[in-house]
Amino acid sequence: MTVDQMSSVTRPSGSAQVAGRVWPRRRSSVAARRHRAFYMFASPWIAGFALLTVAPMSYALWLSFTTYDGISPNWHYVGLGNYRELFSDAQTWDSLGRTGLFAITSVPLSIVAGLVLAVLVNRPIRARGLFRTLLYLPAVVPPVGAGIAFKQLFDQNSGAANGVLNLFGIDALGWLADPYARYVLIMTVLWTAGNIMIISLAGLQDIPREVLEAARIDGASAWRSFRSITLPLLSPVLLFQTVTGVIASVQTIMPLLLAPDPTPAGITALPQSNYLYMMHVFAQYFAFGRYGYASALLWVLFVLILVATGLIFKSTSGVVFYNVDPEAKK
Amino acid sequence: MHSQAGAPGASGAPGAPGHPGAPLSRRRFLALSAAGATAGAASLSGCALQVSSAASGAGETVTVMAKSGDISTDLIKQAQNDIGVKIETVLYSISKLIAMMTNGNPPDLVRGVGAVDAPYFAARGVMENLDPYFAKSTVLKSDDLDPVNDLWRYDGRTQGKGPRYGMAKDFSQDSMFWYNTALFDRAGVEYPPELEPVTYEEWLDKAKRLTRRKNGATTVFGGSYNGVLTPNMLASLTVAAGGNLFTDDYSRVDFTSPEARKALGWYIDYCRTRVGPSIIQPDPNTWDGPTFQANRLAMSNSGYWLGGLINTDKKLAPLSRLAPAPVFEGGRRVSPCQAGTGFWIPSKSHNKDAAWRVFEWFFGEAPAKARASGGWGIPTLKSLRSLMPSQAPYQKEVLKVQKAELNHFSVIAFTPYATADSLYALFNQIAPAAMNGRMSVDRLAGQLNSAMNEQLKRGKEQVG
Repeated sequence: MTVDQMSSVTRPSGSAQVAGRVWPRRRSSVAARRHRAFYMFASPWIAGFALLTVAPMSYALWLSFTTYDGISPNWHYVGLGNYRELFSDAQTWDSLGRTGLFAITSVPLSIVAGLVLAVLVNRPIRARGLFRTLLYLPAVVPPVGAGIAFKQLFDQNSGAANGVLNLFGIDALGWLADPYARYVLIMTVLWTAGNIMIISLAGLQDIPREVLEAARIDGASAWRSFRSITLPLLSPVLLFQTVTGVIASVQTIMPLLLAPDPTPAGITALPQSNYLYMMHVFAQYFAFGRYGYASALLWVLFVLILVATGLIFKSTSGVVFYNVDPEAKK
Repeated sequence: MHSQAGAPGASGAPGAPGHPGAPLSRRRFLALSAAGATAGAASLSGCALQVSSAASGAGETVTVMAKSGDISTDLIKQAQNDIGVKIETVLYSISKLIAMMTNGNPPDLVRGVGAVDAPYFAARGVMENLDPYFAKSTVLKSDDLDPVNDLWRYDGRTQGKGPRYGMAKDFSQDSMFWYNTALFDRAGVEYPPELEPVTYEEWLDKAKRLTRRKNGATTVFGGSYNGVLTPNMLASLTVAAGGNLFTDDYSRVDFTSPEARKALGWYIDYCRTRVGPSIIQPDPNTWDGPTFQANRLAMSNSGYWLGGLINTDKKLAPLSRLAPAPVFEGGRRVSPCQAGTGFWIPSKSHNKDAAWRVFEWFFGEAPAKARASGGWGIPTLKSLRSLMPSQAPYQKEVLKVQKAELNHFSVIAFTPYATADSLYALFNQIAPAAMNGRMSVDRLAGQLNSAMNEQLKRGKEQVG
């Protein structure tokens, strides 16, 4: 019988004190300590995830099978009724379509804007730090403040935007109404491109300088270097921005902040072009009191986000360059 | 018990996964975390219950769910001094209210809009019947209550009758309007008569003549007419046209009746002509005050309460007049209150007696007297009407018009089967097409009927 075998037979509860069995006991103790350390460090996140993500999502899933409105006594179980209704609800599909259009427009625009700004402030120019700060500043303005500022700026009757148009003899436009409201919404997104700029800038600074210098010595133009070296090496950063950008854009509540009356019922008066999916969800929850139906809407959105994220990863797997040891990747 | 349940090894037998010194499996860790969290949440909830149920009367704490302007910090201090009750406020939010009620720990007093909230909440059995409290009160006597407080009554079928579930803190007759005489003079438009109503058609005609535009922007709005809550305003307009928006059992709306169609058509016409703010031409200030004060709004569909703002502006006050609610030709002269904002006590409040003491104090004692003299609304106790501002000549004129208008007050009952917000939201989704001229009023009426009646049907099923 080996020492290990003896240990496993005679040790009653993992705390054997028999002489000659010190080594396995120590090994076990180290493993237990590692386990404890792992759980100690991971437990706040796991507890938060369980309480603040898993529990609410499970609750919402259960609600989605009911007609619960939060207050009435006679709500009941409707099985998949809310999901069936969702597929025949024109508002749902219209708002989903507008949200898709918004994501397709705003995500590439903001990534390109952020990347252009990052390239500019990565160059050795004077007062570079000042420019970086100024370009990032809008991103730290609270969204509520930004919403109020944009509403005042683009008000038809007293806004500065129409004041500028009037200077050129152009009549005032109803910026916050259809069809212009969608452009104001995209402007609010682009206004915070400083966030994307900072991440792209970090990515740019991570590109080995010697690679760019070698390309220059070989006679590559600036554009060729950018296209063949910078962009490929930046591709993981761009993928990250695309995935997080798409998720954020389909969940955006920015139209709420541009609403003249940002209450649950008031947001239903938003111009159609800004009545995005989350506005529909918000109205169903809090204006119509349809907790069950709104929860079904959220679960469908969750699944769509999972699918969209999977598609983005799959479609970019051949073009994203991971700068890691291929053996380690295996 | 909590610590034992959460301790490793609590599951017992030697050699079992939970024995001392054994590493926790991930599955077990998650199970214990969930158990610990549940126990923690239960104990926290228990603490909250103890605090709430311990209070009753002076020296106790009452939780009031209100909006920021309802109860100021000074008023909270005053409550402590006057009646010895500590007030803790929770910012009003319907989702928070529902969450607190669902947890069995509701606020002790809740803000509400009597005109629309009273039937909705009373029909769902979550409001305390206050009749026994009113019967015993020496401060709030039944014969002193203004008829506007009937908005807070509901007999299980109709608003305005039956037990009282709350009370209005002050009120206005919200179909009335203020006008700026300087803007009338500038446009050469004759003033409305002092005590006789104009017709809605005349009102809209004046608004068109008073509106000034330049370079595509509106520099002076002829008039605003949006009421307090759109569904309530449409119900009031329909009554003024001689009909009713709701069927007798309040389970359906009918916008296709001649009276409702007339009311709806008028309102769509108002929006389409863009003489004032609407959902297709929103006011960035979200209320009329700043625009009226800036001499950019000739007529403001606001009741007496706007006088609270006007009285503080020495330039604006002498230029401003209050006018009676318009009428439809061949209709009825009615001048309802579309809000009647006040407070109610949830039936599951743990502290009803102390809540009632605050209720009495707020509605009948020092705060009520201060509100009455502030001009921000008509007092809801008849005995306090003598405190309404009447020193300056313009205040005397306003008071004269307002007192005459009280004779035309009536409660316009709202449905218990839907919130005003839900009907407003449906209106917002459907009506802009008609306001922009892309849909006829008849088609709009049909679509509103379908959408709103579906919402009402769901509500009726849930009330049972």
